[in-house]
Amino acid sequence: MPKLKSELTDEEIAEMIQKGNSKFFESLIKRYEAKMTRYARKFLSNYHDIEDLVQNIFIKVYVNIKSFDTSRKFSPWIYRIAHNEFINAIKKKGKEPLPLFDLDIIFPHSASKERVENEIDKKEMRKILNKCLKKINSKYREPLVLRYFEELNYQEIADVLKIPVSTVGIRLKRGKEKMKLFCDKINYYE
Amino acid sequence: MNKKLSLSEKIINEIKNGQFKMKSKMYFVLRTVLFSLITLFTALFVIFFISFIIFILKTSGVWFLPSFGFGKIGILFTSLPWLLILTALILIIVLELLVKKFSFAYRRPILYSILAILFFVVLGNFIVFKTPMHDDLFLRAQKGKLPIAGDFYRDFGAPNFSQVHNGIVFEIVDNGFDLETFRGEILNVVIDSKTNFSSDGDIRKNDRVLVLGERKNEVIEAVDIRKIDSRAHPRKFMHWNKK
Repeated sequence: MPKLKSELTDEEIAEMIQKGNSKFFESLIKRYEAKMTRYARKFLSNYHDIEDLVQNIFIKVYVNIKSFDTSRKFSPWIYRIAHNEFINAIKKKGKEPLPLFDLDIIFPHSASKERVENEIDKKEMRKILNKCLKKINSKYREPLVLRYFEELNYQEIADVLKIPVSTVGIRLKRGKEKMKLFCDKINYYE
Repeated sequence: MNKKLSLSEKIINEIKNGQFKMKSKMYFVLRTVLFSLITLFTALFVIFFISFIIFILKTSGVWFLPSFGFGKIGILFTSLPWLLILTALILIIVLELLVKKFSFAYRRPILYSILAILFFVVLGNFIVFKTPMHDDLFLRAQKGKLPIAGDFYRDFGAPNFSQVHNGIVFEIVDNGFDLETFRGEILNVVIDSKTNFSSDGDIRKNDRVLVLGERKNEVIEAVDIRKIDSRAHPRKFMHWNKK
């Protein structure tokens, strides 16, 4: 028996679109619209044209869908497109500085292995992030958003940002430390 | 009153109106193939370019300067083809940027991909120097049979080798000896009481020697002379003046 649209995985839907069934694109948009909007709002806190950016992401997904390898996971691929779109928006607006080169990506980091966190820890982290995320640099903000809101693992974040897996670990660690510092300042923990 | 369209409706309408078209699979395949080829050719060019630098250093004799000791470090420094070395460094950076586009490279720290590139370059150079490629190209350039890279081989990218002279003793003369250089020039090497001999034994005809000293026209006032192991020279160049 053929699967219902809602039962299909993202990768199966992408494959259908690749084969020319454009009507499946609507379900893909519906699945990812809220996620992309949330990612944009968290990453680009001071931007007003988020709806246009999200629309551009889906247009790029449609135009480039045949470059997607259906044997791999779809979510890192679409987040990569979104990341590029947001970086271009930041460059265009010039609202915040983007690091040209980062020493974090040169050397391996030993204390950066992926940690298993329970749901309570993640929930608590999301609460803190909602409060203090705007305060930290985009370099740390983006991996934190991808990890705690979009629930990607280290390797998927590495594929979205095109940085080493160990750098993802170190940025998450430092990002959390910086967040704690800022949150302490605004007495979040009290 | 017009109903506000949802994002998905807006995009689907635009697709239906033909405002956006899906790129074909072939476009992405060709793009990947082209990018992989560019990366491969850049890697091969880096090997060629660095082996060329080593070749000219060996042929000019600058490669052997460290054996003269720390005292000659200044000459080594001024004799190095800095423009070529800088170009080689830029080429390595370009190669690193290209390699970093592949997931096997960007998922790991840059240090690893740089080390892998350096290993690849060293291995490539080892293989290149097992072949007579540069010797052949050099000889073809000397005969004017190398159209594009000919000037490069003849002039070595115009580095400053005015104080280092590598060649074969052509004739023993009263004030020293005549030296035939890799460019086929005959230069008169003047030996006086200040000339230092860094190797044992007399200088004889057909000896391979490295002479340090300022060149004025066709005359070199020798400061230091050292015999060079003939095996350390490019093979064809060794027999070149005997033909």
